[in-house]
Amino acid sequence: MRDVTFVLPPHSVLLVVGPNASGKTTLLRLLATALRPTDGGGSVFGHDLVRDADAVRVLTAFVGTSAGTYDLLTVRENLAFAAAMRCRPDAPVATWLDRVGLTPVADDPVRVLSSGMKRRLALAQAWLAAPRLLLLDEPYGGLDRDGVALVAEMTEDTTRRGGSVVIATHEWERVMNEADAVLALAAGQPVEVGPVAQLTAADLAAAAGGRR
Amino acid sequence: MTAQTGLGAVAVLLLGVAAYVSLFASPPDAFQGEYVRIMYAHVPNAWVAYLAFAITFAASVLYLWKRRPAYDHLAHSATELGVLFTGLALLTGSIWGRPVWGTWWTWDARLVTTAMLFLIYTTALLVRGLSDDPLRGARLAAVIGIVGFLDVPIIHYSVVWFRTLHQPASIAPGSLKIAPPMLLALMLSLLAFTVLFMYLLRLRTSLARLEAGGEMR
Amino acid sequence: MNGFLRAAAVARKDLRVEWRGRQTITATGMVALLMILLLGFVVGSEPARAAAILWVAMGFAAVLGIPRVTQGEVDQQALETLLLYPGSREHLFWGKCAALTVMLSALLVALLVLLGVLFGVDVWDHGGALVGVGVLGIVGLSVIGTLLAALVLHVRGRELLMPLLLLPLALPVVLGCVRLTEAILTGTAAGLWPAVLVSFDVVSVLVCPILFEVVMDEV
Repeated sequence: MRDVTFVLPPHSVLLVVGPNASGKTTLLRLLATALRPTDGGGSVFGHDLVRDADAVRVLTAFVGTSAGTYDLLTVRENLAFAAAMRCRPDAPVATWLDRVGLTPVADDPVRVLSSGMKRRLALAQAWLAAPRLLLLDEPYGGLDRDGVALVAEMTEDTTRRGGSVVIATHEWERVMNEADAVLALAAGQPVEVGPVAQLTAADLAAAAGGRR
Repeated sequence: MTAQTGLGAVAVLLLGVAAYVSLFASPPDAFQGEYVRIMYAHVPNAWVAYLAFAITFAASVLYLWKRRPAYDHLAHSATELGVLFTGLALLTGSIWGRPVWGTWWTWDARLVTTAMLFLIYTTALLVRGLSDDPLRGARLAAVIGIVGFLDVPIIHYSVVWFRTLHQPASIAPGSLKIAPPMLLALMLSLLAFTVLFMYLLRLRTSLARLEAGGEMR
Repeated sequence: MNGFLRAAAVARKDLRVEWRGRQTITATGMVALLMILLLGFVVGSEPARAAAILWVAMGFAAVLGIPRVTQGEVDQQALETLLLYPGSREHLFWGKCAALTVMLSALLVALLVLLGVLFGVDVWDHGGALVGVGVLGIVGLSVIGTLLAALVLHVRGRELLMPLLLLPLALPVVLGCVRLTEAILTGTAAGLWPAVLVSFDVVSVLVCPILFEVVMDEV
């Protein structure tokens, strides 16, 4: 990645688009402190990504392509584990299960769930952390219409609480209405950064497809 | 003449003197005969090996603490030399043991501990080589260098107490079980090998620095 | 306070996953059984040999079981998520170490029973002492093992490295447990061996968690 510079204010949603291998996931993982920048730096709500990595992790939740769940544990147990690891042992697991529509399968092992259900579980694990920075990497995979609405609900909830959301996705049409700004990447470099209002649907499609 | 070359010259000189004294000037042992001369190579080898691993430990701690590449180069070089001299110690020990005690190997505590040391530090080098990311490899090797060094005394005593069958060390604190002329030869050899080690360490560390692209932060 | 909570959550999770899958305990148990049978047959099944064979088998079983501590996370693609939870990674260390200790202790109990049957040694009367000594050794094995499990995670040739690293480093545990087990079974003095095991445990406990954080530095 090179020359990526931006400032994301609170209460806003950033849409990151670009073709495969453009660096979308790398950017999100850098913000999540899963990767260290070799050059340059960043901060999340005032905490440096490298020096204050732990403070960043308190504020951040990252839902990536890897599940982060345990096949042999039930949905409920997975969620309870995530809550405990986030130091919220009293989090109302049942309420969260209900919110993401997983109550019917609460006591089934994750092994038997469909990919959409697993994605909902991953979203629930992030949501219960009440993050101030929510990072979603291709969140719509396997989700039905209700699942997509769930992502929108999460996004709205996070921004309403004063946080921000960064969504990297190919399915930019879903986020267009919620996004405040867009960052288009190609081969690790930005080709477009700006408020979403300035860009037309055609621009976004072109950027997402990498034809720029 | 640079400091490094000077050091090398001193090492060669000392080795020459020590070799002369060990092989010719010092007397043969009453019991072991001429074979005692192998001791003048074996003991310094073992001493240098332990010295090398002590340096590895210190350099590893410093590297993990400060993360300066120079410490890693030092640790790497010291580990390599340590493995070399440990191998030599085991070899000379074996060669010495055969005519004197009739066996190539005795399950003596120090030999077993030295063999364990050899394995631990060889593995540190392996880990370095088998890591995809050289920085991570350096970090992991440092961890092994630290754990290994701290463990060796415990390994040593557990091996000693497990099978109590060994020759008491010749230079025990407060008592000298070795005749003065032989002691001189031994001390000279120790000094010569130590200086040689220092020279090789310096040489290898410079090489490591060059290999890494000459970065010295 | 939070640390204890997180460590306990990790331990509970590891044990629960293990209970439902029984992968580690099966692999280690089978290997230990095989080693005991093999050694018992080849080296001799006199009661005097029992302690040594037991602990050599435990050592090799540990070599196979310990990588599971971290490999399990990688297989589930859960490692990154685990490392990104806020809080010190030392908590992860203690949770996993505790779970490993429980698993190896369970294995020990099973092997002691086997020993009683196959070697004709009286494990029943001395059961408490044997398990006590065993756990003292297992704690040391688990502490250093958890560190090594993290260390070999990103190195090629993991399976080869684990025995090369664990067995020399944990040699005092094996030697100490052999002598202490023998002492209990024959009713002789324990000598300095408890001190050896305790020193090993103390040094490992002081050093390994810190080094674990260094090793798990990057995801």
